[in-house]
Amino acid sequence: MPISKDISLDLQERVGSAAESKTPLQLIGGNSKEFLGRVPAGEPLMVNAHKGIVDYSPSELVVTARAGTTVSELQNLLAEENQVLGFEPPEFQGQATLGGTLATNLSGPARPWRGSIRDAVLGVRLINGLGEHLRFGGVVMKNVAGYDLSRFQAGAFGTLGIVTEISLKVAPKPAAEQTVCLARDQVSALDLMTKLQNKPVPLSGLLWIDGILYIRFSGAEAAVQSAAKRIGGERLMDKEATEFWMSVREFTHPFFSGPQPLWRYSVKSSCADFDKTPVLIDWGGGLRWTREAASMEPMRQFTEAGNGQVSCYRGGDRQGEVFQPLPPGLMRLHQRLKHAVDPLQLFNPGRLYADL
Amino acid sequence: MKTDLHPRYQNTTLGAEAETILRSCVHCGFCNATCPTYQELSDERDGPRGRIYLIKQILETDQATARTELHLDRCLTCRACEATCPSGVEYGRLLDIGRGVIATKTKRKLRERCFRWCLKQVLPRRTLMVWLVRLARWLQPLMPAALQRKIPAGQKPGVLPVKQHSRRMLLLQGCVQAAATPNTNAAARRVLDRLGITLLEIREVGCCGAVGYHLADHGDGKYWMRRNIDAWWPLVEQGVEAIVVAASGCGAMLQDYGRIFRDDPNYAEKAAGISHLIKDLSCVIGAENLHGLALDTSKKLAVHCPCSLQHAMGEVESLEKLLKRAGFDLARVAEKHLCCGSAGTYSLLQPTMSQTLLDRKVQALTQDTPDLIVTANIGCQLHLASGTEVPVLHWIELLDQTSH
Amino acid sequence: MANLKLQLLTELLKILPEAGIIQDEETLRPYECDGLSIYTEMPLMVVLPDSVEQVQKIIRLCSRLETPIVPRGAGTGLSAGAMPHREGVVVSLAKFNRILSIDADARQARVQPGVRNLAISEAAQEYGLYYAPDPSSQIACSIGGNVAENSGGVHCLKYGLTVHNILALEVVTAEGDILRIGNQGYDSCGFDLLSLYIGSEGLLGIVTEITVKLLPVPETTKVVMATFDRVEKAGDAVKQIIAEGIIPAGLEMMDRLAINAAEDFVHAGYPRDTAAMLLCEIDGMAEEVDEHIARVSAVFNKEKAGCIRVAADENERQRLWKGRKAAFPAIGRISPDYYCMDGTIPRSQLTKVLTTIQSLSDIYQLRVANVFHAGDGNLHPLILFDANVAGELEKTEEFGGKILELCVDAGGCITGEHGVGVEKLLQMPYQFDPASLEQFQRVKLACDPQRILNPGKGIPQLKHCQEYRSLSQASVGRHADK
Repeated sequence: MPISKDISLDLQERVGSAAESKTPLQLIGGNSKEFLGRVPAGEPLMVNAHKGIVDYSPSELVVTARAGTTVSELQNLLAEENQVLGFEPPEFQGQATLGGTLATNLSGPARPWRGSIRDAVLGVRLINGLGEHLRFGGVVMKNVAGYDLSRFQAGAFGTLGIVTEISLKVAPKPAAEQTVCLARDQVSALDLMTKLQNKPVPLSGLLWIDGILYIRFSGAEAAVQSAAKRIGGERLMDKEATEFWMSVREFTHPFFSGPQPLWRYSVKSSCADFDKTPVLIDWGGGLRWTREAASMEPMRQFTEAGNGQVSCYRGGDRQGEVFQPLPPGLMRLHQRLKHAVDPLQLFNPGRLYADL
Repeated sequence: MKTDLHPRYQNTTLGAEAETILRSCVHCGFCNATCPTYQELSDERDGPRGRIYLIKQILETDQATARTELHLDRCLTCRACEATCPSGVEYGRLLDIGRGVIATKTKRKLRERCFRWCLKQVLPRRTLMVWLVRLARWLQPLMPAALQRKIPAGQKPGVLPVKQHSRRMLLLQGCVQAAATPNTNAAARRVLDRLGITLLEIREVGCCGAVGYHLADHGDGKYWMRRNIDAWWPLVEQGVEAIVVAASGCGAMLQDYGRIFRDDPNYAEKAAGISHLIKDLSCVIGAENLHGLALDTSKKLAVHCPCSLQHAMGEVESLEKLLKRAGFDLARVAEKHLCCGSAGTYSLLQPTMSQTLLDRKVQALTQDTPDLIVTANIGCQLHLASGTEVPVLHWIELLDQTSH
Repeated sequence: MANLKLQLLTELLKILPEAGIIQDEETLRPYECDGLSIYTEMPLMVVLPDSVEQVQKIIRLCSRLETPIVPRGAGTGLSAGAMPHREGVVVSLAKFNRILSIDADARQARVQPGVRNLAISEAAQEYGLYYAPDPSSQIACSIGGNVAENSGGVHCLKYGLTVHNILALEVVTAEGDILRIGNQGYDSCGFDLLSLYIGSEGLLGIVTEITVKLLPVPETTKVVMATFDRVEKAGDAVKQIIAEGIIPAGLEMMDRLAINAAEDFVHAGYPRDTAAMLLCEIDGMAEEVDEHIARVSAVFNKEKAGCIRVAADENERQRLWKGRKAAFPAIGRISPDYYCMDGTIPRSQLTKVLTTIQSLSDIYQLRVANVFHAGDGNLHPLILFDANVAGELEKTEEFGGKILELCVDAGGCITGEHGVGVEKLLQMPYQFDPASLEQFQRVKLACDPQRILNPGKGIPQLKHCQEYRSLSQASVGRHADK
């Protein structure tokens, strides 16, 4: 069991005094994702000491943990019960916390089939800009009372308050997993990805890089075997496969290193006209990574039509916008919602957008 | 659903029946999903749930105007809703009650009243219809194209069988069908003859009563019903296997005689006896061995199962099953549960909606390029024929034609 | 009011054809309630727009005149979420009933909000795809209503709720602006507005277009039915299946009353003489399904199920489900009225909560039929009553309130998928503390500063909460004493 410590009263106090002095706060968990989002500003507030498992009922498929709990600790605990976090979040050398994972809504290669952390969230506790410790959602699979302010935290980069506690739906660990590789050029790989995703096969990964299509199946042993056999291709040994998918999930794959800014396109999986190089295609076509020394304006042209969105994941100009800018109407709504939760603009100002 | 009937309807047979039906409705709205008019108009008042609510209002306030009447008029009485309703609401019956009551509250425009009167006078009278159809065919070249399409093509009934079998059934001669497509009953008699069954037609039996009854003139409807019961009863007493109906619209009405007359001391028993014997032609033939018919099954058929057959008589599959068993290739058909828009006199009284539904139905029937469209009710047959180039037949003609 | 109505009407006639405006009291009546017919209110008028521009203009007009707007879909909701406002306009989205496009390669469809849930899967069928969330009313309920309520269904145990299956929305705000939220990809930059809008019960905007995710139709689907002589045994079997690491596509329970009512309608071959029945559906590749069905059957055996039957073919499977899906309205066959509750509890509490409901049923002298999503702990106790008997509705409401509080006490919530609407406002303070309710109100104001969208629903006004509390205190035991 990870160490357990509740510092929520401290945190509430800190927010209270920040409100009094109108001092913006920079929320820091494991500090593993400082590079993400716009440049952090405000007085640092460490929230990672607020940690520990509040409740874990394996037969309910639900775990509730304080936000400072690291993803690694949580995964280890779940593994004892043969369960996993279905959304495969990066652990960043054991530094990533649950709170930071929710704030950034980062998911691994299985995301199209098993959802994101946003999809797994059942409830949160949250300290708002008034220093109130609130509770939204719960520990049950279905809960539609009130607005869904728990999933709403996903990807908000901590601008909507300090999430102190998160209840998540967990998944049984797949009984079997197998990865096969096929040599394919980009066009035919995308085509095959589309075809495969339109078939009821137990996919959990579809990734293309450097002329090779990696296909991962997860589920019941017999189903995985049979699906892999139908595809053919070369089977990766289990260790090799685990390492490969881990390298994508943890951004340690060589593709992600290098001096140029790293761009992340979340797009319609069947988009065929994506012409940027180099490219790593994940999520069956739904996620495309590229490196390019460019600014947001030219990079966002591809997603203007609503087929997806782009963000500058790492590097580049982090004083400017790093997430695809919002149309004015949406930005206005964001500002009003921010104001509704954090009227004094205390939390992570400007981390998500300059005007937020 | 909570009800609070107006004193005028409390402690009346009609009120009690209506209340029982109203109370069984739980307002879930499933019915709207299969209601043709709701699908087209998307207005709560033009779906069964809304109409039930309007009828409830009439019976609770004892008031209603033409505004309510419009929405009751728009109902096709296809009863698709009844098949969908999990609570078992007898919507068709409630609507008949509602239409009867509202007829006493509102006064239709003179033109409308005249038209309805004419329909009630003309349609049920076979001989008059025969002459009218002939006259219309004669005048056809002079008519506008839209009207021309509505006139049924001429038909010769062909030779009737003479052999008397030991198995005997009665056949409803009917009114509109007998005049417009006389070959339907003739074909039925020939096919059943080959299957060893004699069909008897009684001249005195006429319209089933549906025309008047569904135009909210229950007295007129019952007049025809009593006539038929009286004409059939002696033969029923002698013993017949069934009363066969080739037009399911009439079949549905005949099956309802028992309920309509259940409080009539003179007719209750006879009416129930008759209703019990009513069978659609597809069910009668479906129960026989078809091997002897040597059918030509080369044509691809799109089957339109009339609402009266699938929803009112509850025979959703009898016709398709029979045709499949006979060896026919059936075309893919969408929205099988939706009405074609004919619905008895509806096509004449609500021409716009009727035409919209016809277009939708023709589209659904022809998407898989059938050679022929077959159906089991005269109203649907004529209506469909007016909206498509694909020939439309009563299915029995197919069993008759191809077996030569 | 008459003046306001006249002014509204004059202005509305500039936006809509006359046939799209209903304002005579006589035929407005069918709009006075939705699927929960015990709560009624007559609106000023009902409008039936069929374009986004019309919706936009109507909202701007109502905003100018500060007139409440109540959005309405198919009117099948069970929390009175579409009950009209006395001084407001009902905006029916029923004419928005077109499927705009199906992108089979991307497995998504753009649809209008009035499209029936089932119609999407029917249209996607030719591509081997379907839309997963399937509320029991899916034959009739609209996808717009599903979005408003974040509807679930029998298959959401494996495939998630509406919120997990929507990619994008077009929303007209309370000020008449048109916003596009979400996109055709999986993630969005900025706040997760989809989460906020889905399940917001028409309080934050009017949805005019929806992009849904489609899934490939599973290769094999099988359902196994098992009967139990005690409800507790069925509850244990549910826990055991999940503990086995199996996520069934659906795991549903029905009790004796519900089984019999549904059987009267569908003739599915449900055994009538049994305390509880489970339907467990497994889908996936053939090999996986066979393996899981065998393991589920073994669990049923271990829990001493009476009869265990795997549906022999697709026909039988469809019939078994049809009975389940029609179970609510089928109750209309055994009782003139029923009141459907929607609490969710942790699975481990199933037996305890069901037993307490039974004892409450004895105290209140009202029968309860249970039909529910056992796999995700979403209970649907149906309280059977007769609205024509004076006082029985009030007694039923009080009993219902008790059940919801029981669910909260057990660690659950007052509504799993039907929404709060008007119906559960009273229980909101039981689940949420005042500060959280206040936070909801501030979010509401951020989206709808004039509070013209569906006022009086979903979130109680704080000043009312105190009244509610004292009210419900006063009524404690009032009926229990009888």
